[in-house]
Amino acid sequence: MSEIVDAAARDTAAPVSFATQVARRTFARLGARIGIGWIGVVALCAVFAPFLANSHPLIMTVDGETSSPLLAHLTWIDVALLGAFFACLAAWLGRRRRWLVAGAAAAGLLVAGVAYLAVTPPGAVVYQQYRVGLADGSIESAVFAPVPYSPTDRSRDRPRSLTAPDSSHWMGTDEDGADVLSRMIHACRIALGIGLVATGIALAVGILYGGIMGFFAGWVEILMMRFLEIFESVPQLFLLLMVVAFFGRDIYLMMVVIGLTSWPGYARYLRAEFLKLRHQDFVQAAEACGLPLTSILFRHMLPNGVAPLLVAASFGIAAAILAEAVLSFLGLGVVDEPSWGGMLNQAVGPGGTFAPWLATYPGLAIFLTVFAYNLIGEALRDAIDPHTNRGGRAP
Amino acid sequence: MTLLRVEDLCTTFGGARPAVDGVSFDIAAGETFCLVGESGSGKSVTGMSILRLLDGTFARHPRGRVLFDPPSDPCAPVDLLALPEEDMQRVRGARIAMIFQEPMTALNPVLTIGEQMIEPLMLHLDMDEDAARARALEMLEQVEMPDPLRRLDEYPHRLSGGQRQRVMIAMAMACEPDLLIADEPTTALDVTIQAQILELMAALQKRRNTALLFITHDLSVVAQIADRIAVMQQGRIVETGSRDEVLYRPRHPYTRSLLAALPSRLNRLPAVPAARDEALLRLEDLRVYFPIRRGLLQRHVDDVRAVDGVSLEVKPGRVLAVVGESGSGKTTLGRALLRLVPSTGGRVLFDGTDLLGLSPRAMKPYRRALQIVFQDPQSSLNPRLSVATTLTEPMAVHGIGTDARDRRRRAAEMLERVGLEAGMLERYPHEFSGGQRQRIGIARALVLNPRFIVCDEVTSALDVSVQARVLALLDELRRDFDLTYLFITHNIDVVRYFADDVAVMYQGRVVEQGDVASVCERPANDYTRRLLAAVPQFEAASEA
Repeated sequence: MSEIVDAAARDTAAPVSFATQVARRTFARLGARIGIGWIGVVALCAVFAPFLANSHPLIMTVDGETSSPLLAHLTWIDVALLGAFFACLAAWLGRRRRWLVAGAAAAGLLVAGVAYLAVTPPGAVVYQQYRVGLADGSIESAVFAPVPYSPTDRSRDRPRSLTAPDSSHWMGTDEDGADVLSRMIHACRIALGIGLVATGIALAVGILYGGIMGFFAGWVEILMMRFLEIFESVPQLFLLLMVVAFFGRDIYLMMVVIGLTSWPGYARYLRAEFLKLRHQDFVQAAEACGLPLTSILFRHMLPNGVAPLLVAASFGIAAAILAEAVLSFLGLGVVDEPSWGGMLNQAVGPGGTFAPWLATYPGLAIFLTVFAYNLIGEALRDAIDPHTNRGGRAP
Repeated sequence: MTLLRVEDLCTTFGGARPAVDGVSFDIAAGETFCLVGESGSGKSVTGMSILRLLDGTFARHPRGRVLFDPPSDPCAPVDLLALPEEDMQRVRGARIAMIFQEPMTALNPVLTIGEQMIEPLMLHLDMDEDAARARALEMLEQVEMPDPLRRLDEYPHRLSGGQRQRVMIAMAMACEPDLLIADEPTTALDVTIQAQILELMAALQKRRNTALLFITHDLSVVAQIADRIAVMQQGRIVETGSRDEVLYRPRHPYTRSLLAALPSRLNRLPAVPAARDEALLRLEDLRVYFPIRRGLLQRHVDDVRAVDGVSLEVKPGRVLAVVGESGSGKTTLGRALLRLVPSTGGRVLFDGTDLLGLSPRAMKPYRRALQIVFQDPQSSLNPRLSVATTLTEPMAVHGIGTDARDRRRRAAEMLERVGLEAGMLERYPHEFSGGQRQRIGIARALVLNPRFIVCDEVTSALDVSVQARVLALLDELRRDFDLTYLFITHNIDVVRYFADDVAVMYQGRVVEQGDVASVCERPANDYTRRLLAAVPQFEAASEA
């Protein structure tokens, strides 16, 4: 470390936290920007899916009365996602004021809670009623979403299974006659959700387990390490298959299982970091000041050791998405809700028929999403690694 | 005749200011030329630029020439900066060799000493393997390596730091270069080893008439070996001249300030008489063993006796210096008495209470009374916390100050007290220089209002001028706050300047203790005598 660098730092008045620095360095890279851009598109699709692709008209006039079947048919998940999205937006815009962030978070939670209790969409849904109604004139006018098909709308009024892309179905239809584009848009939810929830679970377990291992050396660590090795030898895919066979195809269960099988890597990373940090002077100084163990662990050690975990997590999200895709491709995914892997599975029909549009678009989406997370992970790793971010400074 | 002429050398890394800014000097065959400066002055970059060893993606040379005129080559002098990479490879190692500071990392850990020495010999001198091996053996003998035949087939990790530096010198001298560039070759070594290495380099240099470019921050070493000296500051040479001119009749104010900051040149601080006669801290037979465990069941086979039965007394208000070379156990001693390292046995009596027997809860008030300041200002502050948080968190834990605002005010006061500005509270450690960080470390210890502070090599990582200011600050603080210091160091000159009492440690034991004057002037122990004799004497050299 030379004095020149310090002298330069002294001139820049505004203090910049390490996290901000890392974020800036990460997103200074083109790859990370492309990655976050794609993830942003997927996230927007996931939040606004009902407004992008829906058979229910946004506004419809029947006998002079205007109504919105789309809003009436929103599920509690739709409402909760919208609430969370706008809460995040508000928190981001008001990130300088702490009370605004807290308020936004509270409002988001409140919306989700109220939606869960209060929003009950009509049970039986007849999608073709609007098309039939428009054709025979009983519906005077209607405004549809950009893609006027719901993911489970099988077009019973005019069955068209496995048609190639045309002007009414931009990405074709699947074997049930549902619109592929609509299903693609709605599948963004599972793709994002499985990645974030599974990796979140894995991170939480990994940080706790790895932190304990790293801080308490000796017998505790040896035993925990052996247990971790046993856990690592359980093959994830076969466990998933077994769970699906026993408990049915539940997407949330899959998230939990994927999360619970991928934490050992994070635990190992954090253990190594903590072993290194424990002998750092600033940790010793914290101990010498008589700070409580929780502060030493979570305030002084964790923020300094968590960086490689975040990098691993961005790759972990990609792996979780792939795991769900594999499961769906094997025909063991979720039943009703669309997922990219499940659509891939349908590309080859039972009679040996092949629908290229069913392979291309979902395959491309999986590829781009996994690629985007990997790009972000790579940029994050470079931003954190002191050997690669010299960026023109003296070595 | 001139062997190397550096003309207006300029090196930039793309930043606003060049790291080396128009440096010019000559080195004659066979002379020792010292490049002196503080950290960041550009002295190492100059050395690396001569051999073009800098990272090509960042480093640029907008101006300047490095003319090299080896006597073995009748051709005209060549400009090393303009030489094609292929020809440069024939210069590196063969005509100009380099020795680095850190002997621990300069050798490849997966190759034996022999393999590393033989390869350049075969490459540059066109020897076959047997001849190269014989030559390597001869070189190891010349650098006085014990049992050279066996060392040839050993890996670097089996060698001590001093032995590794000998291997580095043997490798550098094996091809009989015309110029040897040594970048802080003895900084990482203990003084006794440093004395041996310097002697060895001088002997080899005389025998082969090799020119030596010696890069260092240590003026005492320079006083011993230099023929001519250049002083660097912020990328420029501020003064060049013969040794006696620069060291004893300096003209440039920067050179004068550097010389004035040398601890051996500073007037000894007045000793503080003990406030009370009974000891504030007493160590009785303190032992810290690190178990060596082997095998599947981690069987305890032996101990590393880091601290092996140390008994000491520190009187209130005094500074007890603990001196020793690396591995003598002085750092472990400091940490063990604060219970940062578990002790194996013995007692640590602070004001009559045995700290080792206390429960963590009962220990808490003593965590406040005993504090520590660390050596490395780089790693002793949490990089993720602002200075304000670093200072106020311990206060909150110990119930100092009425509320967060009051604690902030106290933290700001303390920052001003240690010579920083209150406005720096919101900054993060990486925004400070090494000396400033050390001040923050001192402030962190002081906010708890301690009575006793362990200073663990607090000035070792600092430049001499910064060291002088930090030592002055520590002295002022101890008078103002009635502090008692345990001052751990390897630097005898600092001990003479700063401490009241001294204890000399060797292999985990205290071999001699007493007040500074008597131990330094009339050492009773053999090891103490060797240690004192090895310290480079700045004043003694001037008479020679």
